[in-house]
Amino acid sequence: MLDRREFLKISGATAFAALFGGCERMPQKLIPFVIPPEHYVLGESLWYASACRQCPAGCGIVVRNSAGRAKKIEGNPLHPVNRGKLCARGHAGLQALYHPERLGRPLRLDGPRGSGKFKEIPWEEALNLLLSGLKKVRAEAPSSLLMLTDPMRGHRNLVAARFMKGFGSPNRVAWDPFGQDAQLAANEAVYGVRDLPEADLAGTRYLLSFSGDFLETGISPVHYGYAYGRMRQARPTVRGKFVHLGPRLSMTAANADVFLPIALGTEGFAALGIAHVLVKEKLTRAAGNASALWEAGLKEYTPEEVGKRTGAVPEDLVEVAREFASNQPGLALAGDGAASCTNGVFHLSCVALLNVLAGNVGKTGGISFPDRLAPFSGRGAEAGLLLPPPGSGYEDVRDAIGKMGKGAFRLAIFSGDTNPAFTLAPSLSFREAFLSVPMIVSFAPFLDETSSLSDLVLPTPTYLEEWWDDIAPVGHGGAVTFGQPVVPPYRDTRPMPDVLIAAARELGGPVASALPWGSSRECIEKTYAGMGIRLEEAHRDGGVFPGKEAASRPAPKAGKPSLPQVSEASFEGDPARFPLLLHVYPSISLYDGRGANLSWLQELPDPIATAVWRNWVEVNPATAAKFGLSDGDGVTVSSPYGSITAFLVLHPAIAEGVAAMPLGQGHTRYGRNAVNRGDNPYRLLPSASEGASRAPARQSTRVSLARTKLSGALVRTVSTEGQWLYENIL
Amino acid sequence: MKHRWAMVIDMDRCTGCGACVVACVAENNTAVVGEEMAAQGRLMQWIRVVRYWRVEHGETRAVFVPTPCMQCENAPCEIVCPVYATYHDEDDNLNAMVYNRCIGTRYCANNCPYSVRVFNWFDYKWEKPLDEQLNPDLTTRSRGVMEKCTYCIQRIRRGKETALKEGRPVRDGEVLPACAQTCPPGAILFGDLNDPESAVSRIMKDLRRFRLMEHLGTEPRTVYLKRMRGPGR
Repeated sequence: MLDRREFLKISGATAFAALFGGCERMPQKLIPFVIPPEHYVLGESLWYASACRQCPAGCGIVVRNSAGRAKKIEGNPLHPVNRGKLCARGHAGLQALYHPERLGRPLRLDGPRGSGKFKEIPWEEALNLLLSGLKKVRAEAPSSLLMLTDPMRGHRNLVAARFMKGFGSPNRVAWDPFGQDAQLAANEAVYGVRDLPEADLAGTRYLLSFSGDFLETGISPVHYGYAYGRMRQARPTVRGKFVHLGPRLSMTAANADVFLPIALGTEGFAALGIAHVLVKEKLTRAAGNASALWEAGLKEYTPEEVGKRTGAVPEDLVEVAREFASNQPGLALAGDGAASCTNGVFHLSCVALLNVLAGNVGKTGGISFPDRLAPFSGRGAEAGLLLPPPGSGYEDVRDAIGKMGKGAFRLAIFSGDTNPAFTLAPSLSFREAFLSVPMIVSFAPFLDETSSLSDLVLPTPTYLEEWWDDIAPVGHGGAVTFGQPVVPPYRDTRPMPDVLIAAARELGGPVASALPWGSSRECIEKTYAGMGIRLEEAHRDGGVFPGKEAASRPAPKAGKPSLPQVSEASFEGDPARFPLLLHVYPSISLYDGRGANLSWLQELPDPIATAVWRNWVEVNPATAAKFGLSDGDGVTVSSPYGSITAFLVLHPAIAEGVAAMPLGQGHTRYGRNAVNRGDNPYRLLPSASEGASRAPARQSTRVSLARTKLSGALVRTVSTEGQWLYENIL
Repeated sequence: MKHRWAMVIDMDRCTGCGACVVACVAENNTAVVGEEMAAQGRLMQWIRVVRYWRVEHGETRAVFVPTPCMQCENAPCEIVCPVYATYHDEDDNLNAMVYNRCIGTRYCANNCPYSVRVFNWFDYKWEKPLDEQLNPDLTTRSRGVMEKCTYCIQRIRRGKETALKEGRPVRDGEVLPACAQTCPPGAILFGDLNDPESAVSRIMKDLRRFRLMEHLGTEPRTVYLKRMRGPGR
């Protein structure tokens, strides 16, 4: 018999068990929180200010967080770089955060090296592997540690740099295929400042662009896009005029009032032709005093002579020179197409010379050099680590590849924001050399061509899930941007600086004392609190934005212009066998290829070709006719270094004798969205360097085209036929 | 409070960069269709940037025309819908779309001279966990339903509710569709024509103003400002 006491005992226990049983199954419909976590407010959205890392421009963002999930990225209206605006790539950052193929557990090689076969292991095991590798290397030869990353900024870079220094290895390489080496070298030669200038587009009256790509993929496309809109329509009586010279009508060029086609690799000569007219006709005060320049050789660059070299109409150059001089302040800019020739520094120096001759240096509406590191003036030599010069690191990469071949490295640490196995010329044999390093540890959110070569992959959070700070390369005079997690870390990931700090603590010795913090967050917060910055406010605003711009630094050489060392662009390949010059440009949506795994970007039509999901090659209709090719044909593009296939797109405003291809497609390992989307144009490129700055010279090879049968067709999305004829709609 | 929302696209500012397209996709739960569907003209994007080649004085130029829904006052799409799925909203004067009513006749898309309506030929799926990103302010659409640009009606509603709560009219610039908010050169302007002080009301008097296919008499509320050319050539 069950007495009353027993009955109550049993029913109490059952009720207790039922309570726990309920916890095992997740309720599907009810929100199971009595006291919800901090970030979870039903029906209300929270907005977190952070920063974008989809390209190196360093825009500020605010992210909408609803019920603990990131819903939308928008520009941060307070941020001086992008003023509340954002580009397509910035929006697509959400797809990286919630990507189905993101790595959520450490991976250990489970097959032959380079096979891309991995198995998941726990973090403890992964960290022990890393640590034992580091310990072994430090005991034997600390300098045989290699660290290969993207060019990091802020305290992420400081932690990496201090780690390597404390560890005792000088082999730190940062690779950015679109680094600004040529720009830096030219600015040093012409202005006397080795830095990126602040170009005041919004205030200029006349914008002269030499293969400029500032509206699509340049240093800071949103910053310049915003300023461009203001240049055109924000002033009541002035509408800035925009003239573009270059081999191809790009998206940026399409916005120009006048597009003057010139041959590939002749931008510098066109600029000298304009300078010739300025000096000859004494159109500005600086040009009137430039007789030394004239005698040094400028007098030879008559518009007729320059016309012969570049294909420009001499009268156009004269007219442009006169307009440029009479519409001050003006601005002359050059872009990647000019900078990545074998004589890129020559081109960029000549363009900079125009700014000097027109007297645009240090003026509103012209060029200036603000001290962007002004807030860190008390930091001494380490301030430079927070905003390192935005170079490509090409020389270091080549050097490291050479050393890899000689067995100089025993352990390589790689950070997956850059993808050298995809973006380096094939003749450098990066993949083979990298695989000769006995142990490779990658920090990466995805498996791409390079991180899949590793022995150990440590998954990192996206930039939306970590604490970091940034100093943008252009667009401000001393702003510091703060990045913070906008959602709780979505996968079991750890930021690279945190792992480095933890590893340093375990290693002990000088590397531990170089990184005396508990985490990267502590490192950032201690530093800025020490500078008197109120962190809560800084995180609310997304950074510290001084209302008053820092004083501009002087440009000491701008007063005494000298003629840049003249050099010709060279192109590899026999003109008889390879009749066309190859022009490659970064894709507006995929950038250097890093956006190729995001479907929003794959499905964003290219502004000019209107193509989606695939690669193409552009030629002039007259050039295509010579080869017997027509629009949409499959073609093989061959250079002395390799052959790839692509679909042909007729581009009515590209110089004859040029074949142009966007970079970014052609992945072999970067997830479902990225692979099998055509071939990789980087595989056509020689390993040539720019002559003076040692940056990669991408515009340096000839190619030939031959018809090939390709399955499928290039998808172009925009119809301008039928009812959509231009005459019909307007 | 009645509104007459309008959009002004300044072609002299537009650079053709496509930020508006991706901003719209992110805001409005628009499906990604893939290469095969795109080849059949089934992209689901609500705004497209049309690129025209123009030859002027022997020079070839490209012209970008961003094309969202025109929100016509005399909308050809409304009069052909047999089930009133697309109708003229009285409060906001918008050309609205009730997804639940739509039976997929596609008459509206057929009758839209601007080809801005897109049809869900399939149930497009968001592979997990990409669905975590979906905007909670609006639904996803299922197979057989027509959809198009709404001027971000969810943002208009939110703006109106906030104003109501605070007991004031909606401020000019308070409500912005995702495209206008993100546009780097500021080419897209949005506001209420019933407010004579609003930026769009003022810019409606701009001499550069024109409307797409004006001769059809659809009275679009998305208007354009002509691209200018500088002096000289």
